[in-house]
Amino acid sequence: MNRFPSPPPSSRRQFLGLSGGTVAAALLGAAGCSAPGGGASSAQAAGASGTGAKTLTKIGLDYPFTQIPLYSALVKLSTAAGKKRGVSLVTTNDAASADAQAGNLRTWVAQKIPAIVSFPMVFEATESIAKAATDAGLIWVTYGGSLEHQSADIQFNFLKGGTLLGEAAAQWAQEQLGGKGKIAFLTDDTIQLGRERTKGMIDAFTKAAPGVDVVAREQAIDPDTGLSKARAVLAKHPDLNLVLGVTDAAAYGAYKALQQTGRATTDAKTFVGGQDGAAPSLLAIKQGTFYRASAALAPQDIADAVVDVPLAVAAGKANPSVQVPITLVGPGDTARIDVLLAQNA
Amino acid sequence: MTTVTSAPSADRLLPAPRTRAHTAFQAVRRQPLLPVLVVMVLVFQSTTGSFLDAGNLRGIATDAAAVAIVAVPLALLVISGYLDLSVGSTLALGGLVAGWLAGEQHQSPVVAVLGALAAGAVVGAVNGVLCCYLGLSAFIVTLGMLTAVRGFAQQLFPLPLSGFGSGFAWLGGARVAGIDAPVVIAALVLVAGALFLALTPAGRHVFAIGVNREAAYLSGIGVRRAPFALFVVTGVAAALAGAIKASVLDSVVAGTSGAGFELTVLTAVLLGGVALTGGSGSVLGVLLGVLFLGCLQNGLTLLSVPTFWQQMAQGTALVAGAALAFFGPRLNR
Repeated sequence: MNRFPSPPPSSRRQFLGLSGGTVAAALLGAAGCSAPGGGASSAQAAGASGTGAKTLTKIGLDYPFTQIPLYSALVKLSTAAGKKRGVSLVTTNDAASADAQAGNLRTWVAQKIPAIVSFPMVFEATESIAKAATDAGLIWVTYGGSLEHQSADIQFNFLKGGTLLGEAAAQWAQEQLGGKGKIAFLTDDTIQLGRERTKGMIDAFTKAAPGVDVVAREQAIDPDTGLSKARAVLAKHPDLNLVLGVTDAAAYGAYKALQQTGRATTDAKTFVGGQDGAAPSLLAIKQGTFYRASAALAPQDIADAVVDVPLAVAAGKANPSVQVPITLVGPGDTARIDVLLAQNA
Repeated sequence: MTTVTSAPSADRLLPAPRTRAHTAFQAVRRQPLLPVLVVMVLVFQSTTGSFLDAGNLRGIATDAAAVAIVAVPLALLVISGYLDLSVGSTLALGGLVAGWLAGEQHQSPVVAVLGALAAGAVVGAVNGVLCCYLGLSAFIVTLGMLTAVRGFAQQLFPLPLSGFGSGFAWLGGARVAGIDAPVVIAALVLVAGALFLALTPAGRHVFAIGVNREAAYLSGIGVRRAPFALFVVTGVAAALAGAIKASVLDSVVAGTSGAGFELTVLTAVLLGGVALTGGSGSVLGVLLGVLFLGCLQNGLTLLSVPTFWQQMAQGTALVAGAALAFFGPRLNR
């Protein structure tokens, strides 16, 4: 009589059986797809550690911030760049977790993926894994910094990116506002990358435009937070002239907040700028709005480095590390913006 | 026709002040967050001087609207003894579908929003079937869906979407009788939720299911159908909130849109006095929880409190609010 609360046992068993079967089939399928020609043969192709040139056929790209748009563009472009050079690309799913990243990297080292390009979330914690990789004769390329145990690195001058944006905004303030006005900074103090960008941006601006009042410095890296923080700042300072963001995403949120207070998109007394070269911001710059600048990274430059640096190490090239350039784009750089947008498409 | 009114008697007049005080005390006892919210608003106004400015209040209301739209159905779900932790990812999916339809497919805003709602309904229905009809744990199912839906959204839309057109911008930027459209939508959702709980048999069934599912079942209440419907409505509400956010920002990113939103909404619901174990709660409490979070965030920003101090203050205030919500109802026992 009492048919509730549990569902009928048979249907639950059926469901669990079906689910288990499906999962098992998927795992077997995945294993079947990945087993042949995997790390082992590639590792053999890469050869044991030695002094001579190696043939590299596989690169592991370990980029933990899979949630940001750059990740998709980077994987797509790196895969294409690798294909041109006869190299296949494999990736991790770290989900922005340092623990997951460490686990995935250890798996790769045990699997002997011949070349690993890793963006460590915690550099100190990754040192031992990099050592294990290099001890095993694998190529280790550190992305976004340097480790003691590495084959090479891919560096970004985030401080310079922030400085470029700060200087451009300061110059605009001197020319358009006579060196007076109000500025808000959207910053990030949680990771090294953010701290460098923030420092470059604020130091450069305050040095070159000391007459502009800094009315806010708020943590924001995404559009939602940029929007709500800018709204609050605008409630207190409706005559805000400039907003500079540690990311384009946060600055874009501020751009929308300014619009929502009734400011025309071409307002001559307003400047918004960010960093990254994100597509919505680039479009706003191209359209001649008061979103006027972005310190942009070109995804293709990064993708090329992801493939070329391990290949250069494998080829025995001396000093194969690279510095990926960061350039400031403004309303006059439409050709450059089109190139960046195409890379992000 | 004359109206007969009884003359006020001493018996009816004299106790009035005490009665009013008692009524006020009962109100505070039922909604302990209310006096805290009032004090917080007064403190922020006196220290910033601009907290109660119309422009700032408008900003708080618009920011809080998306939270309220999702918090109301989520509160009903929690009252019925279930939980949905996937609303942040559903919000992202809804925003992406709406933005894609409006921007890349050049569909009308109505079609774009309906597409988003359909996506949210599908997610809610999957949650509902797994939890209500197959009896799986809502915590685990919706936690899994949080990740799965996010991955699905990123697979479908790996790059940011932007430029949705002026028609779609209406949803987030238009004003109805001087009030921002998202706030109007949130108000409608709040009123509908309150009326549903207070006036409909189904609303009473939600409480009954949350208090004791087996007893509710034996009383003839559809103990699977009602929570299933609430899962679907919660998914639809999350997708609607996503469409609104996409409209406000004129852009949406699969990886980051709505990240952490589920915790914000759940915090608002619990602060509002909804019991995580089910069976009790009110829409008014949820509204207070939503306003509490919105005012706290905004006030700390107005005060230019440094980032990490803001985190500490927010965390401390939430714990204090939770303690108040717990001990408040026990004040006059």
